[in-house]
Amino acid sequence: MRERLKDRVVIVTGATKGIGRETAKRLAREGARLVCTGRDAADGASVVAEIEVEGGRAIFVPHDVASEADWRMVVARAEAELGGVYAVVNNAGAFLVKPLAETTEADFQFSYNVNVHGAYLGVKLGFEAIARAGAPGAIVNVSSLMGQVGFPGAIAYCTTKGAVTGLTKTAAIEGAAMRPSVRVNSLHPGVIWTPMITDQFGDDPALAEAFANDTPLRMIGLPEYMAEAILYLISDEAALVTGIELTVDGGRGAD
Amino acid sequence: MGRSEDPVLQARVVGASGELADAIRLALVADGVRLVDAPSHQRADGIDVLIFVASDARIGPIATTSAEDFSAHVGGSLSEAFNALQTGVASIRASEGGGSVVLVAPPAGSHRAFDTLRQGLRLMTKAAALELGPEHIRVNVVLPGGAETPLGRPCTPVEVAHAVAFAASARSVFMTGADLVVDGGVLAL
Repeated sequence: MRERLKDRVVIVTGATKGIGRETAKRLAREGARLVCTGRDAADGASVVAEIEVEGGRAIFVPHDVASEADWRMVVARAEAELGGVYAVVNNAGAFLVKPLAETTEADFQFSYNVNVHGAYLGVKLGFEAIARAGAPGAIVNVSSLMGQVGFPGAIAYCTTKGAVTGLTKTAAIEGAAMRPSVRVNSLHPGVIWTPMITDQFGDDPALAEAFANDTPLRMIGLPEYMAEAILYLISDEAALVTGIELTVDGGRGAD
Repeated sequence: MGRSEDPVLQARVVGASGELADAIRLALVADGVRLVDAPSHQRADGIDVLIFVASDARIGPIATTSAEDFSAHVGGSLSEAFNALQTGVASIRASEGGGSVVLVAPPAGSHRAFDTLRQGLRLMTKAAALELGPEHIRVNVVLPGGAETPLGRPCTPVEVAHAVAFAASARSVFMTGADLVVDGGVLAL
Protein backbone atom coordinates (compact mmCIF):
# COMPACT_ATOMS: atom_id res chain seq x y z
CA MET A 1 0.00 0.00 0.00
CA ARG A 2 1.25 3.48 -0.86
CA GLU A 3 0.97 5.68 2.18
CA ARG A 4 0.81 9.12 0.71
CA LEU A 5 -0.53 10.66 3.95
CA LYS A 6 1.26 8.60 6.57
CA ASP A 7 0.44 9.82 10.10
CA ARG A 8 -0.95 13.12 8.87
CA VAL A 9 -4.05 14.42 10.65
CA VAL A 10 -6.95 15.27 8.34
CA ILE A 11 -10.34 16.71 9.36
CA VAL A 12 -13.20 15.68 7.05
CA THR A 13 -16.55 17.38 7.69
CA GLY A 14 -19.75 15.61 6.78
CA ALA A 15 -17.82 12.33 7.01
CA THR A 16 -20.85 10.33 8.12
CA LYS A 17 -22.33 9.89 4.64
CA GLY A 18 -21.67 10.12 0.91
CA ILE A 19 -18.55 11.79 -0.40
CA GLY A 20 -17.21 12.64 3.07
CA ARG A 21 -17.53 9.07 4.30
CA GLU A 22 -15.72 7.57 1.27
CA THR A 23 -13.08 10.29 1.48
CA ALA A 24 -12.37 9.58 5.15
CA LYS A 25 -11.98 5.86 4.40
CA ARG A 26 -9.80 6.49 1.32
CA LEU A 27 -7.47 8.90 3.14
CA ALA A 28 -7.19 6.48 6.08
CA ARG A 29 -5.98 3.80 3.63
CA GLU A 30 -3.15 6.21 2.75
CA GLY A 31 -2.08 6.33 6.38
CA ALA A 32 -3.88 9.52 7.43
CA ARG A 33 -5.32 9.88 10.93
CA LEU A 34 -8.91 10.92 10.46
CA VAL A 35 -11.10 13.34 12.35
CA CYS A 36 -14.55 12.47 11.01
CA THR A 37 -17.16 15.08 11.83
CA GLY A 38 -20.90 15.28 11.34
CA ARG A 39 -24.29 15.49 12.98
CA ASP A 40 -25.19 11.78 13.14
CA ALA A 41 -23.31 10.05 15.96
CA ALA A 42 -24.38 6.53 14.93
CA ASP A 43 -23.10 7.02 11.37
CA GLY A 44 -19.99 8.65 12.83
CA ALA A 45 -19.30 5.63 15.02
CA SER A 46 -19.76 3.28 12.06
CA VAL A 47 -17.32 5.13 9.77
CA VAL A 48 -14.73 5.14 12.56
CA ALA A 49 -15.31 1.40 13.05
CA GLU A 50 -14.88 0.75 9.33
CA ILE A 51 -11.60 2.67 9.31
CA GLU A 52 -10.35 0.85 12.42
CA VAL A 53 -11.23 -2.58 10.93
CA GLU A 54 -8.88 -1.76 8.06
CA GLY A 55 -6.13 -0.87 10.54
CA GLY A 56 -6.58 2.88 10.31
CA ARG A 57 -6.93 5.49 13.00
CA ALA A 58 -9.97 7.76 13.34
CA ILE A 59 -12.16 9.62 15.82
CA PHE A 60 -15.67 11.02 15.41
CA VAL A 61 -16.54 14.50 16.68
CA PRO A 62 -20.13 15.81 16.58
CA HIS A 63 -20.14 18.95 14.50
CA ASP A 64 -22.44 21.67 13.25
CA VAL A 65 -20.11 23.31 10.70
CA ALA A 66 -21.87 26.68 11.07
CA SER A 67 -20.86 26.83 14.76
CA GLU A 68 -17.48 28.33 15.61
CA ALA A 69 -17.63 26.72 19.06
CA ASP A 70 -18.08 23.31 17.43
CA TRP A 71 -15.16 23.98 15.08
CA ARG A 72 -12.95 24.90 18.05
CA MET A 73 -13.91 21.62 19.71
CA VAL A 74 -13.14 19.65 16.52
CA VAL A 75 -9.68 21.21 16.20
CA ALA A 76 -8.93 20.85 19.92
CA ARG A 77 -9.82 17.17 19.89
CA ALA A 78 -7.81 16.61 16.70
CA GLU A 79 -4.72 18.19 18.26
CA ALA A 80 -5.15 16.48 21.62
CA GLU A 81 -5.98 12.99 20.38
CA LEU A 82 -4.28 12.66 16.98
CA GLY A 83 -1.70 15.47 16.64
CA GLY A 84 -1.14 18.69 14.67
CA VAL A 85 -3.51 19.21 11.77
CA TYR A 86 -2.24 18.72 8.20
CA ALA A 87 -5.43 19.16 6.19
CA VAL A 88 -9.11 20.05 6.30
CA VAL A 89 -11.70 18.76 3.82
CA ASN A 90 -14.70 21.10 3.98
CA ASN A 91 -17.19 18.61 2.62
CA ALA A 92 -20.37 19.10 4.66
CA GLY A 93 -23.05 20.68 2.53
CA ALA A 94 -26.78 21.36 2.31
CA PHE A 95 -28.52 20.66 -1.00
CA LEU A 96 -31.76 22.37 -1.86
CA VAL A 97 -33.81 22.22 -5.04
CA LYS A 98 -36.31 25.07 -5.08
CA PRO A 99 -36.97 27.78 -7.63
CA LEU A 100 -36.21 31.37 -6.68
CA ALA A 101 -39.88 32.29 -6.18
CA GLU A 102 -40.32 29.51 -3.60
CA THR A 103 -37.01 29.92 -1.80
CA THR A 104 -37.65 31.52 1.59
CA GLU A 105 -35.20 33.66 3.50
CA ALA A 106 -34.89 30.84 6.00
CA ASP A 107 -34.03 28.37 3.18
CA PHE A 108 -31.42 30.72 1.82
CA GLN A 109 -29.94 31.48 5.23
CA PHE A 110 -29.67 27.78 6.06
CA SER A 111 -27.85 27.05 2.75
CA TYR A 112 -25.55 29.98 3.45
CA ASN A 113 -24.84 28.87 7.02
CA VAL A 114 -23.83 25.34 6.07
CA ASN A 115 -22.22 25.84 2.66
CA VAL A 116 -20.48 29.19 3.05
CA HIS A 117 -20.18 30.00 6.75
CA GLY A 118 -19.15 26.40 7.46
CA ALA A 119 -16.41 26.50 4.80
CA TYR A 120 -15.27 29.96 5.95
CA LEU A 121 -14.84 28.70 9.51
CA GLY A 122 -13.10 25.56 8.26
CA VAL A 123 -10.59 27.59 6.26
CA LYS A 124 -10.03 30.16 9.01
CA LEU A 125 -9.59 27.69 11.86
CA GLY A 126 -7.81 25.30 9.50
CA PHE A 127 -5.20 27.97 8.72
CA GLU A 128 -4.67 28.55 12.46
CA ALA A 129 -4.39 24.84 13.21
CA ILE A 130 -1.99 24.17 10.31
CA ALA A 131 0.15 27.12 11.41
CA ARG A 132 0.33 25.65 14.94
CA ALA A 133 1.36 22.29 13.46
CA GLY A 134 4.27 24.13 11.80
CA ALA A 135 4.33 22.27 8.46
CA PRO A 136 2.79 23.01 5.05
CA GLY A 137 -0.84 22.00 4.86
CA ALA A 138 -3.78 21.69 2.51
CA ILE A 139 -7.47 22.46 2.42
CA VAL A 140 -10.05 21.13 -0.03
CA ASN A 141 -13.43 22.82 -0.26
CA VAL A 142 -16.09 20.68 -1.85
CA SER A 143 -18.07 23.05 -4.07
CA SER A 144 -20.09 21.70 -7.00
CA LEU A 145 -20.49 21.91 -10.74
CA MET A 146 -23.42 24.07 -9.58
CA GLY A 147 -20.83 26.45 -8.12
CA GLN A 148 -19.48 27.03 -11.63
CA VAL A 149 -22.61 27.19 -13.78
CA GLY A 150 -26.26 28.06 -13.15
CA PHE A 151 -29.03 25.49 -12.74
CA PRO A 152 -32.70 26.44 -12.81
CA GLY A 153 -34.49 25.68 -9.57
CA ALA A 154 -31.43 25.69 -7.33
CA ILE A 155 -30.84 29.35 -6.51
CA ALA A 156 -29.63 28.86 -2.93
CA TYR A 157 -27.35 25.94 -3.77
CA CYS A 158 -25.77 27.58 -6.85
CA THR A 159 -25.26 30.87 -5.03
CA THR A 160 -23.66 29.35 -1.97
CA LYS A 161 -21.49 26.87 -3.89
CA GLY A 162 -20.36 29.73 -6.15
CA ALA A 163 -19.32 31.57 -3.00
CA VAL A 164 -17.20 28.56 -2.02
CA THR A 165 -15.35 28.89 -5.34
CA GLY A 166 -14.49 32.53 -4.57
CA LEU A 167 -13.63 31.79 -0.94
CA THR A 168 -11.21 29.13 -2.16
CA LYS A 169 -9.32 31.40 -4.54
CA THR A 170 -8.85 34.18 -1.99
CA ALA A 171 -7.81 31.71 0.68
CA ALA A 172 -5.36 30.12 -1.79
CA ILE A 173 -3.58 33.43 -2.35
CA GLU A 174 -3.42 34.18 1.38
CA GLY A 175 -2.39 30.60 2.14
CA ALA A 176 0.44 30.76 -0.42
CA ALA A 177 1.90 33.74 1.45
CA MET A 178 1.82 31.96 4.83
CA ARG A 179 4.96 30.29 6.13
CA PRO A 180 4.54 27.36 6.20
CA SER A 181 2.18 27.67 3.25
CA VAL A 182 -1.31 26.25 3.00
CA ARG A 183 -2.73 25.14 -0.34
CA VAL A 184 -6.47 25.61 -0.89
CA ASN A 185 -8.40 24.09 -3.79
CA SER A 186 -12.03 23.46 -4.67
CA LEU A 187 -13.54 20.24 -6.00
CA HIS A 188 -16.59 20.48 -8.25
CA PRO A 189 -18.51 17.21 -8.37
CA GLY A 190 -21.22 16.60 -10.94
CA VAL A 191 -24.17 14.37 -10.03
CA ILE A 192 -22.89 11.94 -7.41
CA TRP A 193 -25.17 9.17 -6.16
CA THR A 194 -25.24 9.94 -2.43
CA PRO A 195 -27.91 10.45 0.26
CA MET A 196 -27.78 14.17 -0.63
CA ILE A 197 -29.32 13.27 -4.01
CA THR A 198 -31.50 10.36 -2.94
CA ASP A 199 -32.97 12.25 0.05
CA GLN A 200 -34.10 14.91 -2.41
CA PHE A 201 -35.25 12.80 -5.35
CA GLY A 202 -35.68 9.27 -3.98
CA ASP A 203 -33.43 6.21 -4.29
CA ASP A 204 -34.69 5.20 -7.72
CA PRO A 205 -32.44 3.21 -10.12
CA ALA A 206 -34.37 4.68 -13.08
CA LEU A 207 -33.37 8.14 -11.91
CA ALA A 208 -29.72 7.12 -11.63
CA GLU A 209 -29.93 5.83 -15.19
CA ALA A 210 -31.51 9.08 -16.36
CA PHE A 211 -28.68 11.08 -14.76
CA ALA A 212 -26.15 8.74 -16.42
CA ASN A 213 -27.73 9.17 -19.85
CA ASP A 214 -27.56 12.93 -19.38
CA THR A 215 -23.80 12.77 -18.66
CA PRO A 216 -21.23 12.63 -21.51
CA LEU A 217 -19.48 9.60 -19.94
CA ARG A 218 -22.89 7.88 -19.63
CA MET A 219 -22.29 6.96 -16.00
CA ILE A 220 -23.45 8.10 -12.59
CA GLY A 221 -20.88 9.58 -10.23
CA LEU A 222 -19.89 7.65 -7.11
CA PRO A 223 -18.44 9.03 -3.86
CA GLU A 224 -15.24 7.00 -4.28
CA TYR A 225 -14.42 8.96 -7.46
CA MET A 226 -14.53 12.17 -5.45
CA ALA A 227 -12.39 10.60 -2.71
CA GLU A 228 -9.62 9.92 -5.29
CA ALA A 229 -9.73 13.53 -6.48
CA ILE A 230 -9.56 14.85 -2.91
CA LEU A 231 -6.63 12.52 -2.21
CA TYR A 232 -4.79 13.93 -5.23
CA LEU A 233 -5.46 17.52 -4.14
CA ILE A 234 -4.24 17.11 -0.55
CA SER A 235 -1.29 14.80 -1.27
CA ASP A 236 2.24 15.99 -1.99
CA GLU A 237 1.67 15.01 -5.62
CA ALA A 238 -0.20 18.32 -5.85
CA ALA A 239 2.43 20.33 -3.93
CA LEU A 240 2.22 23.17 -6.46
CA VAL A 241 -1.54 22.96 -6.97
CA THR A 242 -3.43 25.75 -5.27
CA GLY A 243 -6.44 27.92 -6.06
CA ILE A 244 -7.71 25.54 -8.74
CA GLU A 245 -11.23 24.41 -9.53
CA LEU A 246 -11.06 20.65 -10.17
CA THR A 247 -14.21 19.54 -11.91
CA VAL A 248 -15.01 15.81 -11.77
CA ASP A 249 -18.43 15.55 -13.33
CA GLY A 250 -18.44 12.95 -16.11
CA GLY A 251 -18.07 15.80 -18.61
CA ARG A 252 -21.31 17.69 -17.90
CA GLY A 253 -19.51 20.99 -17.39
CA ALA A 254 -17.52 20.69 -20.64
CA ASP A 255 -20.65 21.63 -22.59
CA MET B 1 -11.03 3.74 -17.64
CA GLY B 2 -13.52 1.31 -18.97
CA ARG B 3 -11.22 -1.55 -18.14
CA SER B 4 -11.41 -1.87 -14.41
CA GLU B 5 -11.10 -5.64 -14.71
CA ASP B 6 -7.70 -5.16 -16.37
CA PRO B 7 -5.37 -3.13 -14.16
CA VAL B 8 -2.60 -2.98 -16.76
CA LEU B 9 -3.18 -0.02 -19.03
CA GLN B 10 -1.02 0.57 -22.06
CA ALA B 11 0.07 4.15 -22.59
CA ARG B 12 1.91 5.99 -25.27
CA VAL B 13 3.71 9.25 -24.48
CA VAL B 14 4.03 11.55 -27.48
CA GLY B 15 5.89 14.82 -27.86
CA ALA B 16 7.64 14.96 -24.49
CA SER B 17 11.39 14.97 -24.21
CA GLY B 18 14.03 15.13 -21.53
CA GLU B 19 13.20 15.51 -17.87
CA LEU B 20 9.43 15.89 -18.41
CA ALA B 21 9.21 12.71 -20.51
CA ASP B 22 11.18 10.77 -17.89
CA ALA B 23 9.00 12.11 -15.07
CA ILE B 24 5.77 11.27 -16.90
CA ARG B 25 6.94 7.75 -17.67
CA LEU B 26 7.95 7.15 -14.05
CA ALA B 27 4.62 8.48 -12.71
CA LEU B 28 2.64 6.32 -15.12
CA VAL B 29 4.61 3.21 -14.21
CA ALA B 30 4.05 3.97 -10.50
CA ASP B 31 0.31 3.97 -11.24
CA GLY B 32 0.55 0.53 -12.83
CA VAL B 33 0.53 1.70 -16.45
CA ARG B 34 2.64 -0.12 -19.04
CA LEU B 35 4.33 2.01 -21.67
CA VAL B 36 4.08 1.21 -25.34
CA ASP B 37 7.06 2.23 -27.45
CA ALA B 38 5.81 1.38 -30.92
CA PRO B 39 3.73 4.03 -32.71
CA SER B 40 0.19 3.52 -31.51
CA HIS B 41 -1.40 3.16 -34.96
CA GLN B 42 0.81 0.17 -35.75
CA ARG B 43 -0.65 -1.85 -32.91
CA ALA B 44 -3.61 -3.97 -33.81
CA ASP B 45 -4.73 -4.25 -30.19
CA GLY B 46 -4.51 -0.53 -29.56
CA ILE B 47 -3.58 1.52 -26.51
CA ASP B 48 -5.59 2.64 -23.48
CA VAL B 49 -3.92 5.95 -22.79
CA LEU B 50 -2.42 8.68 -24.96
CA ILE B 51 -0.32 11.41 -23.38
CA PHE B 52 0.42 14.25 -25.78
CA VAL B 53 2.76 17.02 -24.70
CA ALA B 54 2.18 20.03 -26.96
CA SER B 55 5.24 21.75 -28.32
CA ASP B 56 6.31 24.92 -26.64
CA ALA B 57 5.55 27.87 -28.86
CA ARG B 58 6.94 31.06 -27.39
CA ILE B 59 5.47 34.13 -28.97
CA GLY B 60 5.93 37.71 -27.92
CA PRO B 61 3.60 40.67 -27.67
CA ILE B 62 0.81 40.91 -30.24
CA ALA B 63 2.22 44.17 -31.64
CA THR B 64 5.55 42.63 -32.58
CA THR B 65 4.64 39.03 -33.47
CA SER B 66 4.30 38.38 -37.19
CA ALA B 67 1.25 36.58 -38.53
CA GLU B 68 3.61 33.97 -39.97
CA ASP B 69 5.17 33.29 -36.57
CA PHE B 70 1.77 33.16 -34.89
CA SER B 71 0.48 30.70 -37.45
CA ALA B 72 3.60 28.54 -37.35
CA HIS B 73 3.78 28.39 -33.55
CA VAL B 74 0.20 28.52 -32.30
CA GLY B 75 -1.46 26.97 -35.37
CA GLY B 76 1.33 24.43 -35.73
CA SER B 77 1.15 23.30 -32.12
CA LEU B 78 -2.67 23.03 -32.18
CA SER B 79 -2.49 21.01 -35.43
CA GLU B 80 0.03 18.62 -33.88
CA ALA B 81 -2.30 18.15 -30.91
CA PHE B 82 -5.25 17.53 -33.22
CA ASN B 83 -3.31 14.93 -35.22
CA ALA B 84 -2.16 13.18 -32.05
CA LEU B 85 -5.71 13.18 -30.69
CA GLN B 86 -7.11 11.65 -33.90
CA THR B 87 -4.41 9.00 -34.11
CA GLY B 88 -4.58 8.22 -30.41
CA VAL B 89 -8.35 7.93 -30.36
CA ALA B 90 -8.27 5.53 -33.33
CA SER B 91 -5.86 3.34 -31.39
CA ILE B 92 -7.89 3.58 -28.17
CA ARG B 93 -10.99 2.52 -30.11
CA ALA B 94 -9.07 -0.53 -31.37
CA SER B 95 -8.33 -1.50 -27.74
CA GLU B 96 -12.06 -1.51 -26.84
CA GLY B 97 -13.39 -0.61 -23.42
CA GLY B 98 -12.61 3.09 -23.50
CA GLY B 99 -9.48 4.92 -22.48
CA SER B 100 -7.94 8.23 -21.62
CA VAL B 101 -6.25 11.07 -23.47
CA VAL B 102 -4.22 13.67 -21.62
CA LEU B 103 -3.11 16.79 -23.45
CA VAL B 104 -0.32 18.69 -21.73
CA ALA B 105 -0.11 22.38 -22.58
CA PRO B 106 3.20 24.23 -22.60
CA PRO B 107 3.97 26.19 -19.42
CA ALA B 108 2.37 29.61 -19.18
CA GLY B 109 4.50 32.21 -20.92
CA SER B 110 5.38 35.77 -20.07
CA HIS B 111 3.13 37.15 -22.83
CA ARG B 112 -0.61 36.66 -22.56
CA ALA B 113 -0.92 36.29 -26.36
CA PHE B 114 0.61 32.90 -25.79
CA ASP B 115 -2.54 31.92 -23.88
CA THR B 116 -4.20 31.56 -27.28
CA LEU B 117 -2.47 28.21 -27.60
CA ARG B 118 -3.28 27.08 -24.06
CA GLN B 119 -6.92 28.10 -24.34
CA GLY B 120 -7.10 26.39 -27.73
CA LEU B 121 -5.90 23.16 -26.16
CA ARG B 122 -8.46 23.59 -23.32
CA LEU B 123 -11.36 23.94 -25.70
CA MET B 124 -10.10 21.13 -27.95
CA THR B 125 -10.11 19.00 -24.79
CA LYS B 126 -13.70 19.93 -23.90
CA ALA B 127 -14.97 19.35 -27.45
CA ALA B 128 -13.26 15.96 -27.60
CA ALA B 129 -14.53 15.04 -24.12
CA LEU B 130 -18.14 15.69 -25.16
CA GLU B 131 -17.74 13.85 -28.47
CA LEU B 132 -15.92 10.82 -27.06
CA GLY B 133 -17.60 10.54 -23.64
CA PRO B 134 -20.27 8.06 -24.77
CA GLU B 135 -17.47 5.69 -25.85
CA HIS B 136 -15.88 6.18 -22.44
CA ILE B 137 -12.82 7.82 -23.89
CA ARG B 138 -11.90 10.52 -21.41
CA VAL B 139 -10.01 13.66 -22.47
CA ASN B 140 -8.41 16.08 -20.01
CA VAL B 141 -5.77 18.80 -20.17
CA VAL B 142 -2.87 19.57 -17.83
CA LEU B 143 -1.96 23.28 -17.66
CA PRO B 144 1.44 23.91 -16.07
CA GLY B 145 2.17 27.37 -14.73
CA GLY B 146 5.10 29.62 -15.51
CA ALA B 147 8.20 30.64 -13.61
CA GLU B 148 6.60 32.98 -11.06
CA THR B 149 3.87 31.69 -8.76
CA PRO B 150 2.31 32.76 -5.44
CA LEU B 151 3.87 29.64 -3.89
CA GLY B 152 7.26 31.09 -4.81
CA ARG B 153 8.58 28.56 -7.30
CA PRO B 154 7.76 27.14 -10.74
CA CYS B 155 6.32 23.64 -11.00
CA THR B 156 8.73 20.79 -11.53
CA PRO B 157 8.44 18.15 -14.28
CA VAL B 158 7.56 15.64 -11.53
CA GLU B 159 4.58 17.75 -10.43
CA VAL B 160 3.33 17.95 -14.03
CA ALA B 161 3.80 14.19 -14.26
CA HIS B 162 1.69 13.55 -11.13
CA ALA B 163 -1.20 15.50 -12.67
CA VAL B 164 -0.77 13.55 -15.92
CA ALA B 165 -0.79 10.23 -14.07
CA PHE B 166 -3.94 11.19 -12.16
CA ALA B 167 -5.76 12.11 -15.40
CA ALA B 168 -4.46 9.05 -17.26
CA SER B 169 -5.27 6.40 -14.69
CA ALA B 170 -8.47 4.87 -13.32
CA ARG B 171 -8.10 7.21 -10.32
CA SER B 172 -10.00 9.80 -12.38
CA VAL B 173 -12.55 7.49 -14.02
CA PHE B 174 -15.36 10.09 -13.76
CA MET B 175 -13.26 13.07 -14.93
CA THR B 176 -13.42 14.29 -18.51
CA GLY B 177 -13.16 17.69 -20.14
CA ALA B 178 -11.39 18.97 -17.02
CA ASP B 179 -8.49 21.37 -16.55
CA LEU B 180 -5.71 20.16 -14.28
CA VAL B 181 -3.90 23.35 -13.41
CA VAL B 182 -0.48 23.09 -11.75
CA ASP B 183 0.50 26.72 -11.36
CA GLY B 184 1.08 27.56 -7.71
CA GLY B 185 -2.04 29.73 -7.58
CA VAL B 186 -1.51 32.04 -10.60
CA LEU B 187 -5.01 31.51 -11.97
CA ALA B 188 -6.55 32.27 -8.58
CA LEU B 189 -5.14 35.81 -8.79
